[in-house]
Amino acid sequence: MTTIPAPTRVFPPVDTNFLYLINKILSGVDNLHGALDALVPVIRPYFIFDNVVVFLIDPMTLNLDVAYARATGRGKSAEADVAWGEIIGSQVIESRQSILQEPQDPDETDRLRRPHTLGVPLISQTETLGAIIFIRFGSPQYTPEQIAFAEFLADQLAVVAARENLKSENRRLEFQYRTFQVQEDFISTLSHELRTPLGFIKGYTTTLLRTDASWDEQTKLEFLTIIDQETDRLQDLLSNLLDSAKLQSGQIMMDFQVVRLDALIKDVILRSRLHHPALVVEADVEEPIKNIQADPRRLAQILENLINNAVKYAPDSPVMVKIYSAPNGVITEVSDHGPGIPEKYQAKIFDRFFRVPESGSSVHGSGLGLFICKQIVQAHNGTIDLRSRVGEGATFRIFLPDRL
Amino acid sequence: MSARILVVDDEQLYRHLLKVNLETEGYEVSAAKDGEEALEMVSSRHPDLVMLDVAMPKLDGFETCERIRQFSDVPVIMLTARGEEQDRVHGLNVGADDYVLKPFSATELVARVRAVLRRAKTTSQIIHKRYFSHLNLRIDFARAEVWKSDHPVYLSATEYRLLIQFAQHSGRILAAEELLSAVWGESYREDKEILWVSIARLRQKLEDDPHNPQHIVTRSGLGYMMPASEGVSSDEKGL
Repeated sequence: MTTIPAPTRVFPPVDTNFLYLINKILSGVDNLHGALDALVPVIRPYFIFDNVVVFLIDPMTLNLDVAYARATGRGKSAEADVAWGEIIGSQVIESRQSILQEPQDPDETDRLRRPHTLGVPLISQTETLGAIIFIRFGSPQYTPEQIAFAEFLADQLAVVAARENLKSENRRLEFQYRTFQVQEDFISTLSHELRTPLGFIKGYTTTLLRTDASWDEQTKLEFLTIIDQETDRLQDLLSNLLDSAKLQSGQIMMDFQVVRLDALIKDVILRSRLHHPALVVEADVEEPIKNIQADPRRLAQILENLINNAVKYAPDSPVMVKIYSAPNGVITEVSDHGPGIPEKYQAKIFDRFFRVPESGSSVHGSGLGLFICKQIVQAHNGTIDLRSRVGEGATFRIFLPDRL
Repeated sequence: MSARILVVDDEQLYRHLLKVNLETEGYEVSAAKDGEEALEMVSSRHPDLVMLDVAMPKLDGFETCERIRQFSDVPVIMLTARGEEQDRVHGLNVGADDYVLKPFSATELVARVRAVLRRAKTTSQIIHKRYFSHLNLRIDFARAEVWKSDHPVYLSATEYRLLIQFAQHSGRILAAEELLSAVWGESYREDKEILWVSIARLRQKLEDDPHNPQHIVTRSGLGYMMPASEGVSSDEKGL
């Protein structure tokens, strides 16, 4: 390491337009690599070098990585056999100062063995991000003006590198935040769905228990009915939660047997009518329909769930059930003429805890039903999909193979 | 005369629950299903007490309470989910008088209501002032709308809060520090330039001649004020 000797070759002084150009280039790029690609050809008339290398500290591992390397002149043909500033890089970063290394043997005749090496740290605010190394083979030596210019360039590049680091950090945090958001949504949905029926049960029970008020028989019956229904709602929510957790972890064993779909759907419709006396179901079942291998209890659970959804979200529409043969299996469709599901939500509709935001708080739901349906269908090696257009209703289509 | 209570909840079963229990006490109960409806009903029906659910879509209970407080000092009881301590604190900060935790027992609910009504002013003392007018300027607190000679004026949230300060203290000189800490927060107390720019922008929007302001006048060395005017309208005049 030496002091800087007088110039042996004269470069034009850096002019204002050139600085403006550098600023334009750097404000227009979003990464260090692009910045250097654009800068290298522009700066060479002012600042000659043969090789340039940028080392960056990997923010995760704190190791030194080569982020950029270009051989522009005399070093081009010598590839890895010449100096690339690999040692000076670490020294610059450690000392946080520019380091100039002159050739050790000035009498060496091979220029490639007489490297003038200038290393400048890339520092953004107080953080050392890396170092940029310029190498000249043979003459000329670096002038104080050129060193100052190299430091100016390094400061500009450090801003670009810091920006790039922030961007990737931001992407990482955004991903974490989204994961966190999903969990948060789940907790708030769940606590709302659990608290609401509990609040009604507590409220109406204590209303009946009030010693300072009396209620006629009809009012008592009304309150008890509310309590009863809300207890069912809690029960449904809890069993859905358990089911979805077990299905998720593969703990539910399917009880596969030969199933007659036409008989099964009749049962499901009868049971649904018990809960919704006004329900109109139009069934269109191909006769005779072939038998399939399935778990009848789970299959009934899916169909009940789809019919209940139709009643819930399309209360004034009849429900259509269509069952017909397909190659290697049977297709079951459950449709309604309700408001439909906007296209942007269709891909997410089977996700655990997902609820269409527009369905509002008036319609209760935990976002588990369709997730459970999909899990059960998949356990049958089947598929379930949705076809829907806003204003024209929704059709859920299940394909079940006749052999597993 | 029996007290009139407005219950606000997006869940029909809660509205029903509150209604049946409060009616046994002889209260006259009306119900609103969201914050906007509640604001309309507070201004049109002048209830003696408002029971306000926190978790409502669109305008939540806190925001509704804050807006009610801009034109009425009717007692407000918040219905908050159990376990959310910051909700209770926030509720009291935005001007609620008490809170009831959900799920609640009917007996507790009725007792809370009785207690709040006992502490509260009698009906005739509650100030409901939905509209404010000053010269050709008119503010509808319930809707957070500002009108100038029957033309709507569009203000930023900060500009609106600043204007409310002048309207609520018309006739009084407000020091810059006072306005800054009320509208921007305590840490902006010394940041006078931000107030100057905002007042200049407000004047551009509100004054016929911003160089000769009539609504927000400068009292050199003291602060700013909206001069008291005779035209403070009562609700009866309506819009």
